[in-house]
Formats: sequence, structure tokens, C-alpha cells
Amino acid sequence: MFKYIIRRTALMIVMLFVLSIVTFVLFNAVPTDPAALTCGKSCSPAIIEANRVRLGLDQPLYIQYLEWIKGIFVGRTYGSGSQTFNCDTPCLGYSFRNGEEVTDMIVRAVPVTFYLAIGAFTLWMLVGITSGIYAAKKRGQWQDRTIMGITLVGYSLPVFFVGLLLLIFVVVRWNLLPYPDYYSPTKDPLAFFQTMLLPWVALAILYAAYYTRLTRTQMLETLGEDYIRTARAKGLPEKIVVRKHAFRAGLTPIVTSAGLDLAGLLGGAVITEYIFSLPGMGRLAIGAVVEYDLPTITAATMVAAVFVIIANLVVDLLYMAIDPRVRL
Amino acid sequence: MTNLTGTADNTVAEVMPADGQAIVGRSLREIAWMRLRRDRVAMISLSVLLFIIFIAAFGPLISKLIGVDPYSFDSSAISDNGGLPNGKWGGVSLAHPLGVEPLTGRDVLARLLYGSRVSLLIAGSATLITVTMGTIIGIVAGNSRGKLDSFLSRFMDITIAFPLLLVIIAMSPVIEQRLQAIGVPAGNPSRVTTLILVLSVFGWPYLARIVRGQVLSLREREFVEAAISIGSNNRRIVFKELLPNLWAPILVYTTIAMPGLIGAEATLAFLGISVVPPTPTWGSMLEESVGYFTVDPFYFFVPLTMLLAAVLSFNLLGDALRDALDPKSGRT
Amino acid sequence: MKKSTSIRFGVGVVSLALVLTACGGSKSDGASAGTKGGTLTFLTEAEQFAHLDPQRNYTGEDLAFASGYLNRTLTQYTLSADNNEASKLVADLATDTGTTPDGGKTWEFTIKDGVKWEDGQAVTCEDVKYGVSRTFATDIITDGPTYAITMLDIAKDADGNSIYKGPYVEDATGQAAYDAAVVCEGSKITFKLAAPVADFNYTVTLSAFAPVRKDADTGEKYDDKVLSNGPYKIESYVKKDKLVLVRNENWDPATDSFRTALPDRIEYNFAVPSAVITERLMADAGNDVYAISPDSVDPAKLASIFSDAKYEKRRWNELDPYVRFFFINTKKVPNEKHRQAILAAVNREELRKIAGGDYAGEYADGAIKPNIGIDYAPTGLWDSLLGEAVPATGNVELAKKLIADSGEEFPNPLVIDYPKTEVNDKAVASLVAALGEAGITATPNGLEPGGYYPIVMDPAKQGGMTSAGWAPDWLNASTVIPELFHPNGGFALTQYDDAAWMARVDAAKAMTDRAAQAKEWQALNTEAARLGLILPTRFGLEQRIAGSKVTGAYIWGPYGSWPYATLGVNAQ
Repeated sequence: MFKYIIRRTALMIVMLFVLSIVTFVLFNAVPTDPAALTCGKSCSPAIIEANRVRLGLDQPLYIQYLEWIKGIFVGRTYGSGSQTFNCDTPCLGYSFRNGEEVTDMIVRAVPVTFYLAIGAFTLWMLVGITSGIYAAKKRGQWQDRTIMGITLVGYSLPVFFVGLLLLIFVVVRWNLLPYPDYYSPTKDPLAFFQTMLLPWVALAILYAAYYTRLTRTQMLETLGEDYIRTARAKGLPEKIVVRKHAFRAGLTPIVTSAGLDLAGLLGGAVITEYIFSLPGMGRLAIGAVVEYDLPTITAATMVAAVFVIIANLVVDLLYMAIDPRVRL
Repeated sequence: MTNLTGTADNTVAEVMPADGQAIVGRSLREIAWMRLRRDRVAMISLSVLLFIIFIAAFGPLISKLIGVDPYSFDSSAISDNGGLPNGKWGGVSLAHPLGVEPLTGRDVLARLLYGSRVSLLIAGSATLITVTMGTIIGIVAGNSRGKLDSFLSRFMDITIAFPLLLVIIAMSPVIEQRLQAIGVPAGNPSRVTTLILVLSVFGWPYLARIVRGQVLSLREREFVEAAISIGSNNRRIVFKELLPNLWAPILVYTTIAMPGLIGAEATLAFLGISVVPPTPTWGSMLEESVGYFTVDPFYFFVPLTMLLAAVLSFNLLGDALRDALDPKSGRT
Repeated sequence: MKKSTSIRFGVGVVSLALVLTACGGSKSDGASAGTKGGTLTFLTEAEQFAHLDPQRNYTGEDLAFASGYLNRTLTQYTLSADNNEASKLVADLATDTGTTPDGGKTWEFTIKDGVKWEDGQAVTCEDVKYGVSRTFATDIITDGPTYAITMLDIAKDADGNSIYKGPYVEDATGQAAYDAAVVCEGSKITFKLAAPVADFNYTVTLSAFAPVRKDADTGEKYDDKVLSNGPYKIESYVKKDKLVLVRNENWDPATDSFRTALPDRIEYNFAVPSAVITERLMADAGNDVYAISPDSVDPAKLASIFSDAKYEKRRWNELDPYVRFFFINTKKVPNEKHRQAILAAVNREELRKIAGGDYAGEYADGAIKPNIGIDYAPTGLWDSLLGEAVPATGNVELAKKLIADSGEEFPNPLVIDYPKTEVNDKAVASLVAALGEAGITATPNGLEPGGYYPIVMDPAKQGGMTSAGWAPDWLNASTVIPELFHPNGGFALTQYDDAAWMARVDAAKAMTDRAAQAKEWQALNTEAARLGLILPTRFGLEQRIAGSKVTGAYIWGPYGSWPYATLGVNAQ
């Protein structure tokens, strides 16, 4: 077991390394010249060349990559003369478009996305699993059909529509909640909950629909198994049969999906963040893409990918806890 | 749902591995079809889908028959101040059966018909490529095991690890330029190809994982072991033993990938990177109309209804297919 | 100054879309008089300020914002809802609006006593001198106006670049040249110009001539942490989220007759979707009564807002300073007749409807807009300049004839560059269709708004037509004609380098008789239109809406912006 964790972690590091190369090459192959974007109206070839040197963009790609990796571990220095500045470890690069170190931007954006994702995750897992189990128990009856109908619609509606609809009616027209904004939960917990509630709901609707369906399918699958019949036959109360036997056995795919979905969201919930003006990873990343802000795109992609890779590891480890049959 | 296509890698568990042989005389396919035909929801969904495919295929012809055009402006159909359609219901009239677009007066019905073509073309082609790639790589990985398998699996892990939306947006211009360099005409030919490519290139690992899992478990089954023991070659095992048992999950995956990709196109349109205007798609129509939904709701509900009809039908059909292909479902 | 193409993705529009004088009607000036105190809230779709660094700030709205709150300039325009009144100068950081002993070759300003930075140190003449010098560091101080470089009496090298490279480069020769051109004696600053500029005191309203203190200068990072000498200072600035301004205790109202500085606190919220901003301001609920937006109204809501009397007191529909047009690149379309054919073929009525019809502004007839004053005269472009009348719906026959007369094939395809927004997509679709009828094959080239100007300003990437908007930097067409149509201009995307033409523009620029100069600008404007250097589309209008308890709001002529310095909230 311990050996397995070590092996997986080692593999993870190799993957991260591969990922960093792929990301770096992918984005730096963008046809736009990043140096040309460093000055606007008064741009002359001389200025572009000067900035190219100042930002290290004149180096071959592999040198740029090594510099970048070096920056993450020991920091790096940009510029020359009186305009030198240090980018401290872990330095993910310097965004010329924003005039800011990428690490600072990421550090600011991650908590926003983190709270958005965790809140929505809790909400959709609660709603999804509960209604999924309920629907499975009532299979074929009207309760089941109603739930399935609702989830299908919820699942099919575009996220941007749901978000905008909620925003305009709940906040703007009916004034039920304050306008979404980001407050730190440690400083102002009440404002934090009030303003995040709507984004959580908007984001959770889609996922809740999906998890309801997933849970229901899993439950139906396991409820048909022989050992459930055995459990019932030996007189166990239905509650225990459902909770301990059926649900637990069907949990594996739910955990897999949940882990990856959460990790995916931590990398940025683009549309939700856009509609509710939350300054999270998704906005940061898409904004960077729109502005061809290469250091920021590269870093945001890396961070998002790291979340997914870690989630993969955690999910695999969780398997062992859930399913004793999983041998390593 | 970690991916844009709204599908998960656990479909393995949702679909039943076919048993190979079923009840007397009827093949699984026949049974499934029988069940499907008895399922009213499935039949309605199927008809809706066929209808949508029909109008998409004959969109230009239908537009011509009705006498509407998706690209011509009609200044007379919109107001001078603000450009909202004249008249109620988004400017519905004999000349414009589903109203007109604000600001331009372009015909909504014609745009919807033309838009269906592009949306279905993108989603359909991407699904086809995704399914083909996913199946092939999944089988290769599952069937080869060992080094090749672990290499392919890690490859899938890495591909899945990328934030899909981000990569698509960032990579699209690069891919488009490369396409144009090899002679694909600029504008929509290269843009649509790009969209199809990015959506499939990052979409295949999900199905590949499912297929690999299925193959791994199938290989433990007696009939495959039997085939191996009598010395069947690899090709025979893949085509005669494995593939026939894989088409159920693949079919189900296809029906859920389709609506996911239709939605993905809409999301990309929302972010402003779908097809080159003025060509319409469902996604771009939705994106343009969402801002009007308080002042001209009809304009917004037209593409929304179309998108919902398609997505719902595919999902419902997928559910029905799953039930129909599930050998256990008869027992309950 | 350039029209901002606010950075956004998805959901549509930077509305480069707006209508005309007569519609303006009576000007409302917000609710009752302002009171001190309260929090004024701004909502914008932009993710951040393009630049707050005074030497880099060059967007009308942002200039008005920064000079209202953070950086004082030597002179300022009068704060008035009346456009004529507003075009007059007032002294701000200087004791008067500047004096010139020699007809514009030398300009002197005296810095007021008692003006302090936010940390209590006095603003000195040396600070102004240092601030102006930053413009010369063109590799770091990007995007700002370059008048300091073109006007000051500092030698140029063979390539036409200034020999002075700014304060970040150690170079004694350059520094000496700068020290000779900008001289501080006590609190008096003297600017020595290469050629007389009769209205240099207008030039210095630009914050490019505002002070920056040397020990506080952080180069390109100064954008994020500006040291204020205005009534407010930056408490926090988080891009994509919020900028918060609080009172600068070291600002002395006795030295400042320009700013009333009513609110106690100013919160500037970024990244709010356009549709949401308009919905919130319309709903006017909760704290949104104290909210106002620097962005134009979401075009979808224009009809609702302007047809409903309940918004009467807090809606505006005014001429802005911008002319909307497409550059026609003379390097890509060298034949004059071909350029004229483009002008003749276009359906301007459709373009105007797409931009909002009556809210989009009147048809433009050149690069100079009537609200500039004496430099404007109708050019008659659409009546006779192209040989015959061109109705708003276009004259395809004339276009075909012009192409035939030219004796050459039209250089197809014609690439049209534009910042990709929903409205622009539609406008360009109309252009493509209209040009197609005249036998011109046009290809749309929609570019991300955030990277638009840097891309099209690269001659290698610029297409045959380029969407743009331009406003004069002050009320003299010397900030329009040479900037747009002379190869040395800052926004000369038309790439027109005819020698006789260049000489004529240079001569007009050097004229000191303002009335004669105005005549010459009018003539040059007409000639530029006839040569088909641009396709003028509209004299833009701007529509805005504010919360019901925002006071002192009107559209301030010089920048087509809010009069930031005197905005307040009625907090009772």
C-alpha cells in the first residue's frame, strides 16, 4: 500500500513534468508575436526588439522553458538596468499585459474558484445523491418520473442561460439576494454566503441533474444484485440495505466522477465566473487567452492540470477505502 | 462531466456489458430493437431527431420554398430607434414566419435552418471522430496490456488533465493557421474543421477509457479465453469476439456525446469562438439572443427550443437505448 | 485619443454603436445637488483600467477618471454640461493656464504652492519635469500620447527617433538635451518647443504632462500603484475585481477649484457583464441607486430606457467626441478610384441601423466632427465628391463605374479588420454584402478586442480596411488630420505618403493664425474624404444611465465622459 502511494506519486511527478513541456510548447506555438503585444500605439520595431530581449523572448524555446522551470523553483530576474525586478519563488512568469507577476494573480484567483467549487460541489452531491437514491427506490413511479424529467431539462439547459436567468430575476428584479461579489469567508462570512449562494446554485443545477441520474443508475444496478436479495432475506431493515449495501457498492463510479468534476472546476468555472463577475481562475485564464497573455495562460493551464492529476491520485486511493476488492 | 461533452468516463457502469448470447433464437440486436419500438418516449425522441436532421439536410431548399434568406438584411422589419423588430412576437409575419433578428432584420427561421446544418455537422463529425478514435485506442490499450497499455493510459490521463475549454480556445487559432497553411480555405471551412478537430482530439479519451475497461473485463471472460486457447489470432479476437460486445456501450456513448457536443458548440459560441459570422449556428443564435431575452423573448426562445429539443431527444434516446440493451432490464 | 475597445469575451458588444445632436434634447444633470459623503459605485465590463499611469493613459473615459480623482494636470477643461463652456481651459496644478512670450515656441507654467502628494510631500516643478520625461522611455511607457516627443525641442536621430531615451537609460547627451528643453526655475516650468504650438496649454491637459515623483516611480509597475496628488488615493486595486479609492488627507481643497470631491469612498467594480450592468441600473434597487457606469447602455435595452418616462432624469443621449470610420489602407488599395468605389458601394443605412439606428448617430462625412467647433465644415462627401450623389443605401452603379474607369482590376480580396463583437460582426457582414454587389470580394477579419490595436498597427498584419474610432485630443484638428493621415501621425493606418499631401499637412500644422488654420483643416478634411482615405460611417452618440441617487451626472464634452471630479451621491 505504502509502496503503491510512492509509486503513484512518482508517476504523478513525471506526468506533471510531461504536462509542463506540452503546455509550454502548445501555447508558445501561438502564431502571435508576444513581444509585439507589449506596446500599442507608439510601437516601433526597435521597441519590440528591446522588449523581446527584456522579457527573454529572444531565446530559443527550450531555453525559455528552462528559465521558466528555474523560475518556479528558485525565482528569476527580469529586465535590465534600473528597470530590473525580481520575481520570487515560485515564479510562474511575468504578465506584461497586466504588469504583474503571474504567481500573484493565481494566488488571488485560486481561493475564489476554490470556494465556488467546494460550495457547489457540496450542494450538488447532497441533492444529486439524495434524489438519485429516492428515485431509484421509487423506480417507475411518478416520483421517479418527475425527478428524471426535471434532471433531464436541468442537464440540457445551457449553463449561461441558467446563470443569467437566476441573476436577472433573483437579484436584479426581485432583490432576494445581494449582487454576487467576492468576500473573503474569514473576514465577512455572512456576506460571503449571501453573495456566493446564487453562483453555487447556478453551477450545482447542471451537476446535480447529472449526479441524480448517475446515482439512480448505480442504485438500480446494485439493488438487482444477489447479495442485496440475501441482505433483505436475512431481515435487514430496508434503510440499512440501501445505505450500507446497495449505495456503498455503487459508490465507485460516483467517487470517480466527483473527484474529476471537482478537480476540473478548481481549474476554473469559466461561464459561472463570467456571469457572476467572480475573479477566479476561469476568468483569469480566459481573459489571458483573449489578450494572448502567454505566461498567464501557461500557468493557469498548469495549475488546472495539477488539480486534475492530484484528483486522479486521490480517487484511486479512495477506491481502496470504499471497495475492499480493489487490490493494488 | 469533467469534460465539455458532458459525458463521464464511468459509463461502463451505466451500460450493461452484453452477455454475448441471449434468449432463444433472437440476437441481442433484435431484442433491443423490439424493446425500443415498444418505448413511446424513445420513438418520439427518434422522430424529433429525424425531423431535425431532415430540416438540417434540406435547410437551403426549405428556405427557398418559404422564400426566406438567412443573410439578407431587412431594414423595414426593424425600428429606427434601437433596432428592435417591428410588431409583436419578435416581428413574426408572413414574410418572416419566426420573426427577425434585432438590428439587422435577418430572418430567424432561415438562420435556424442554416444554423441546424452547421451545429449538427460540427457535433456529428466530432462525435464520429471521437467514437472512432476512442474505440480503436481503447481496444488497443485493453487488448495489448503491458507497456503499450500503460503508455496509452497515461496518455489518456494527460489529455484528460488539460482544462478542455481553455485549451480549445487557446489552440484554435494555431490549428486554424496550420489548416490554412495546408490549403484548407480561410473562413468557415477552416474554422469548422478546427472546431471539429479540437472537440474530438480532447474528447476521445473518455470513450477510450470506457472501452479499455470493457476490453479488460471481456478478456477475462470464458468465451475470449476459449478463443485464445484454440489459437485464434489477435485480429479474429478483436473483430469477432471483442467488437460485437462493445457496440452497446459505444452506441450509448454516442447518444450522450452528441448532445454534449451540441452544448459544447453553444458554449464556445457564448465565448465568441464558434463559426465565422454571418454563418449562424444554434449556439451563435443563442449567444446573440440571450441579451434580448427580457425585451424580445421570442427571439431568444426560438433557438433555445431547438437546442433543447435536440439535446433532450438525444438524451432520452440514450436512456431508452441503455434500457433496451440491458439484458437485466427484462427481469425487473 | 483612441476609442477604447474594452476587453471582453463572449456576450457581444463593445458598443461602438451610438446618434446625434438633435436627439440630445434637454440635458438632465442627475438628481438634486450633491452632498458630501457616501460611497459612489462604478460598474464596468472592462477587466481593469487600460492604464492608470498618467503617462500611459490615453483613453478618454480613463483620462477623465484619473484626472478627476488621482492626478492633477497643469491645466484642465471647465466642468460644465455646456459643450462650449466645457472647452475652455482652467488652471489646475498651475497658477494660470500658461503663458507664451514668443507666440507659442516657449510655454511657461507656475506650479501652485500647497499641492501635495498623498504622503504629504509637496508637488514640485521637478516632479512635472520627471513625469514628462517618462514619455520618452517608449519601451516601458507604452500606449500613451507622444506629443512630448514630437513637440519638445530635442534633436532626432537619423531614424526620426528622439535622442533622449527617457529617465531609465543613463545617457548624458540625451539627458542634457532634455534638460535644455524642459527647464525648472523654482516653481516655474518652461517648455521649449521645436516649432510654435499656439495651443500647447491644451496639450498639457493630457495626463502625459502630469507630475510623477522620481522616488515613487516603479516603471511599468507604476500602473498598479499610482502615487496620488488628487482628492483620493488608491486603497486597493485588484484587476478583474475592484478598485477602491479613499480620501487623500493631504489634498487641500483650497488649492483646487476644479474638483468638489463629494463621496467619501469610490468603488470601481470590474468585469460586470454589460447586460447585467444595464439591468441593475434600470432596476435601481438597493445600493445600485448610488451606482453609475462608464460604459454605454446595453443596446438591447435602448428602446426600453428611452421610451419610458421613469428614466427621464437619469438617462443621457449625447454626442460623444468620436467619429467612427474604417481606414482604407492605401498600400493595399492604391488606386484612388477603387477607394472611392468602396465609399460608394457601402450601405450606410444598414450600418447605422445595426449600430442602433437613431441611437447610433448621424452619417459622418469626414474625420472631423461638428462638435469640434471652427475646424469643421461639411465636406459634401455624399453629395458630390465622388462624382455623383451617394444615398445612404449606397450607389452600386457608381461604384462599378468607378472601378471600370480606373482601368485596373480591383485588388481582391479586400480584408476588413475589426474588433470582434456582435454588433461589429453584423456591420461587417453588411459591408461584405454591399461590396460584393459592386464586384469587390471582401473578407472579414474579426480580431479579439483586447489585442486589436496592437495587431492592426503592425503594417504587416493590417488589412485593406480597418475599423476604428478617433476623437481629437483637444479642440483642434491638429490632433486629427496629422494623426490619422500623415505617416508620422500616431494612428496613420491609412498609410498615405503622397509627398505633396504630407507637405500640406505639415504646413497646416505650423500655422499660427488659428482662423486660417481652421480653413486649411476643413479643406484637408474634404480632400481626405475625396481621396477615400477613410470610409466615415457615423458621428457617434453615447447613451448612458445612472442610479437615481447619483448627483452631478452629465456627459462632459471634452472626453465624452462623466464629469468625475464633481460626481456625488445623495446619501440621505
